[in-house]
Amino acid sequence: MKKTVKGIWWAQIKAVIRLEMKKTFFAKRGLWIYLVAALPVLLFIAYAIATSSQQNRSASVARQGVKRLAYQDLLAVKPGMTSEEVMAILGKPPITFHWTEDRPTQDGTNGSIRVNHEDFHYSDGQNDLFVGLANGKVESLNIRQGINLGQDSIMFAAVFQFFFLRLAVFFGCLGIFMNLFRGEILDRSLHFYFLAPMRREVLMAGKFLAGLLATCTIFGLSEVLQTIAFVWHFPPGVRDYYLYHNHGLEYAAIYLGVTLLACVGYGAFFLVAGMMFRNPILPAAAILIWEGINPFLPSVLRQFSVIYYLKSFCPVDIPASPGTPAVFALLISNSNPVPAATAILGILIVALIALYVSSVQVRRMEINYTTE
Amino acid sequence: MAIYRRNYKPYAGPLTPAWSRWFILFRYSRRNLFRSKFMTGLFVVCFFYPMLCLLQIYLAHSVSFLEQIGIPSRVIAIDNEFFFRFMGVQGVLAFLMTALAGPGLISPDLANGALPLYFCRPFSRAEYVLGKSSVLAILLSQMTWVPGLVLFAMQASLAGLSWTWSNLWIAGSLVLSSLIWIAILSLLAMALSAWVKWRIVAGALLLAVMFFGAGFAQAINTVMRAEWGHFFNVAYLMTTVWNSLFRVDTEHAIPVVEAWIALLVYCAICLGLLMRKVRAYEVIR
Amino acid sequence: MNDRIVFEDVSKFYGEILGVNRINLSIPAGITSLVGPNGSGKTTLMNLMTGLVRPTRGRIQVLDYKTDDPENLFKILGYSTQFDAFPKGLTGFQFVYSYLRLAGRTSESAEQMAWRAIERVNLVDAARRNVAGYSKGMRQRIRLAQALAHDPKVVVLDEPLNGLDPLARSEMIALFRSTAAQGCYVIISSHILHEVDVISDQVILLSNGYVVAEGPIHNVRSEIQEHPTQILIRCSQPRELAAKMFEYPQTIEVSIHKDEGGLLLKTRDADRFYLTLNEMAVNGIDIESIAPADDDVLSVYEYLIGNEEAVR
Ligand SMILES: Nc1ncnc2c1ncn2[C@@H]1O[C@H](COP(=O)(O)OP(=O)(O)O)[C@@H](O)[C@H]1O
Ligand SMILES: [Mg+2]
Repeated sequence: MKKTVKGIWWAQIKAVIRLEMKKTFFAKRGLWIYLVAALPVLLFIAYAIATSSQQNRSASVARQGVKRLAYQDLLAVKPGMTSEEVMAILGKPPITFHWTEDRPTQDGTNGSIRVNHEDFHYSDGQNDLFVGLANGKVESLNIRQGINLGQDSIMFAAVFQFFFLRLAVFFGCLGIFMNLFRGEILDRSLHFYFLAPMRREVLMAGKFLAGLLATCTIFGLSEVLQTIAFVWHFPPGVRDYYLYHNHGLEYAAIYLGVTLLACVGYGAFFLVAGMMFRNPILPAAAILIWEGINPFLPSVLRQFSVIYYLKSFCPVDIPASPGTPAVFALLISNSNPVPAATAILGILIVALIALYVSSVQVRRMEINYTTE
Repeated sequence: MAIYRRNYKPYAGPLTPAWSRWFILFRYSRRNLFRSKFMTGLFVVCFFYPMLCLLQIYLAHSVSFLEQIGIPSRVIAIDNEFFFRFMGVQGVLAFLMTALAGPGLISPDLANGALPLYFCRPFSRAEYVLGKSSVLAILLSQMTWVPGLVLFAMQASLAGLSWTWSNLWIAGSLVLSSLIWIAILSLLAMALSAWVKWRIVAGALLLAVMFFGAGFAQAINTVMRAEWGHFFNVAYLMTTVWNSLFRVDTEHAIPVVEAWIALLVYCAICLGLLMRKVRAYEVIR
Repeated sequence: MNDRIVFEDVSKFYGEILGVNRINLSIPAGITSLVGPNGSGKTTLMNLMTGLVRPTRGRIQVLDYKTDDPENLFKILGYSTQFDAFPKGLTGFQFVYSYLRLAGRTSESAEQMAWRAIERVNLVDAARRNVAGYSKGMRQRIRLAQALAHDPKVVVLDEPLNGLDPLARSEMIALFRSTAAQGCYVIISSHILHEVDVISDQVILLSNGYVVAEGPIHNVRSEIQEHPTQILIRCSQPRELAAKMFEYPQTIEVSIHKDEGGLLLKTRDADRFYLTLNEMAVNGIDIESIAPADDDVLSVYEYLIGNEEAVR
């Protein structure tokens, strides 16, 4: 007997999910979420294309050179060297560029002196060196690094933490989960659900799962595609190295996991907010601010936050660049990372509390569509 | 054959002249807006900073008073940077005001299918948009260039003719920079609310356009090691333009001309979106 | 086993605003009409019955179920609300079908039941079109189909005849009758009494959140007729007029108003009284004004019953 009741609940949850799917996946109104999820993917695809074309150019420059160069050779050039000294180390440059400049004289008189510039472009096949000579002396040196795994993975981490997690997933979950109840109240169609022979808690669970399915699919897929786009342009050797020996695969899995956890955490938050508040913008702004000031809170309060747990998973620390104000440095730093098990448990507990509150809320809910 | 007595007489009284009809919408929308106490309160708050500025100008010219309390009068310089700061603060407030007040102007009309009621009267779509947007435009003007000019006039009367003459361009900058910001904000708010139709969601979307846009711009710049990401950041574009208008020296990642063009393109897109949705009926497929 | 829909001392306040107050009802099977002008509390009563709003005070029981037990209640209850809104992007058939799936039915049985319900409301041709493109009458009917689709024992319909053309109206009325004939509880609301009184087994008259009359239709009508009406007459010589009033048999009670400038009169037949008053005025008593003293109830009756007499 008990079993059949559960069976019916499950069938009902599935029916709710099926109905909600139409709204979250296929509605014209929900298209923006695909855009939000696709933006970082497009960004990394653009990055991959740009880097590969640059790699091709570097390789062709290297082929034109008289000598096969190594990265150390590029570093050997120092400011102040003459062009002969440079050529002695690197050989005749494959690409040169000449121009002249009338430089005002230093002593303040109105005269000017003519300076002959020569720019040399060398490449070791991956990294490019631009040597600027003025009157035969090296004046400026500029190395454009090709693939730098360390830098690239920091860049990926930065985009993940600051754009994808805090903005894309945040707003995506906000849109989808707040819409579950608030959207139907605005549409005046919630009562159809309340008139079905179904516990309100079952309805809530179904809606939550539907939202979770949608956000996890969309953002999980986005994360996977981002990773693919990110590693795609590496030359095969580098790719294998990155994936199997430089934690690449592991990080990808962690990022995916963090994305899914974020959907659970934010989802539960916004589900409650969408039920409790007439105007969910204010709680959303409050949550955004709460998550923003999280690092400055006392440690007890800090635990009631999604970002707090998520951040401690992120495998790559983003170093604060020297100019960063202390405030932002705090935002990045991972002062006291929590163990993974605690973090997962923490998020699940936060989510369960939120779900409990919303189940109480949904049972008390009345159909009372006032204007808007 | 039935013969009916003709006793129907059409209205023969005076009509509001056609050119000023949009003003009716303006009056009603504005009254509606200020019915909310919160809105009125916010509007009042928007004048705190201008008052502070007024005080500052006054103090800057009371040299003897400043010397009494031991502050060199040069500390409070009333120059282009002063007005630039004023513009920055009021610009943020104007944005907040738009996010709260803007979407309520037309989304209820669309959501409740009220447009046919407007357009079955001698009233065109352009007049509708004009009437509704003039509410925002005038509201925001009252917060930006109008107090700005008051400050300028105050400073001019205290500082004398030569200062006024050599700084007259600041007045022009105040008006121009306010107007472009007002145009962007009101068009954005109205286009968004026409498309999503929910007042609240449109407000959220306006916030999202600003914040998400800024975040996305930053992400582009990080990944592509470029500067063109800033084109997605409306606030950055606007600041660039303001910088040049107030002749404040800072480094721009993108040229001022391009910032101008980008802003105008945004305006045009919003106007296009708006006009597509403001129709008397909608076909449902 | 309980075979009634029972309201025990039920009140509902929307904040400060009264929805319904102190409702005691016991509704048997058959067609029951809730009748009252706009804002009298018909929808509130129906929402209370279906648990969409919760009573501020009191207890409601629908047959064997409490209203906060939707899992069981809606197996036997179908409700077509007054809200003229639908979930976005569904066709008429999908609308009926998906909410049957919510009940946990298999797709075959849901499909079968959905088509049967759509046939009952005569909407087969339009069933594959998007609901957003329906006319008002079609929307009304598809909601009816949704309420009837799972063969409920209790059918609650809020203004189901609103927006239907005369043909559709008589079809719907036939539908209500056949449903009630199977022993169901059909509860419909209307603000026009003569629209529903012929088909109703009982009517409940509502006004300003109170039940003002209840029972089989002919009982209600005679009750209203017997209900004494109070009339306030302002005149210069109230005592003389009072003396004259007692000569008429319809007069039940006369009392002089406090300020000596008029009198309060209770009569069982207001219409006849007005005629008599005309005679008196001719006979030289100076009457300033006449006004019903219990305006509320009277105007409701006037609205509900008087109108109907006029129509006939
Ligand atoms: N959601 C609500 N909030 C406030 N007052 C309400 C609400 N719903 C109904 N009312 C009030 O309750 C009373 C009864 O309304 P309702 O039941 O809708 O009447 P009816 O359906 O008979 O027209 C009215 O005075 C109405 O204004
Ligand atoms: Mg009603």
